[in-house]
Amino acid sequence: MTTAANRQTGSESAPAKAWLMGLAGWLVPGLGHLLQGAWGRALLLGGAVWACFISGFMMGGHLYKYSGTDQGLAGLAQIPPMVGDLGAGLLYIGCWFMGIGFANTPQQAALPTFEYAWTFMLVAGLLNYLCMLDAFDMAAGRKS
Amino acid sequence: MRHFLIMTAFAALAAIVFGAVAKDKNNDRLMYGLKVFAEFMVIGLVLSWILYFIPF
Repeated sequence: MTTAANRQTGSESAPAKAWLMGLAGWLVPGLGHLLQGAWGRALLLGGAVWACFISGFMMGGHLYKYSGTDQGLAGLAQIPPMVGDLGAGLLYIGCWFMGIGFANTPQQAALPTFEYAWTFMLVAGLLNYLCMLDAFDMAAGRKS
Repeated sequence: MRHFLIMTAFAALAAIVFGAVAKDKNNDRLMYGLKVFAEFMVIGLVLSWILYFIPF
């Protein structure tokens, strides 16, 4: 198939650089754009994701992880928000290694900002998935 | 007031990302970002007033 035909069908394979940029963008929000010299976008997108995650953390939010201790649907219900939180890349992994941000105590749940807080952290991960795809598309030449 | 500020911050952060990744030209990005921000705010306020009058 020719390049023009590939473009029309959208079936062209992405170069390795694009996968690398996507990975970098997922690991550190904004890094995928920064490595491509898109400073403004890196600052804007990375800044928004970092601000969302940190403000959620400071408001007393918690991250989700699949613990395996909950049985049945309660255990499975932990997986979708965990996938969302995992979008924050090293922010999530760092919290996991340091053992912070996963506590879900009654005192924490009593905070007036608790529901907002974990939502902010979840949305930070989901927004970073969008940023990661944007960095991938830029590196693949599908976007300017 | 705190709830409104948090909602505004959330709308702004989400609108920044949506606006930046959505369009090809900077002007279009700005307009789309502002539109998303306005939509978040208006829908949030409308929903909050609806919920305010629901007694349960």
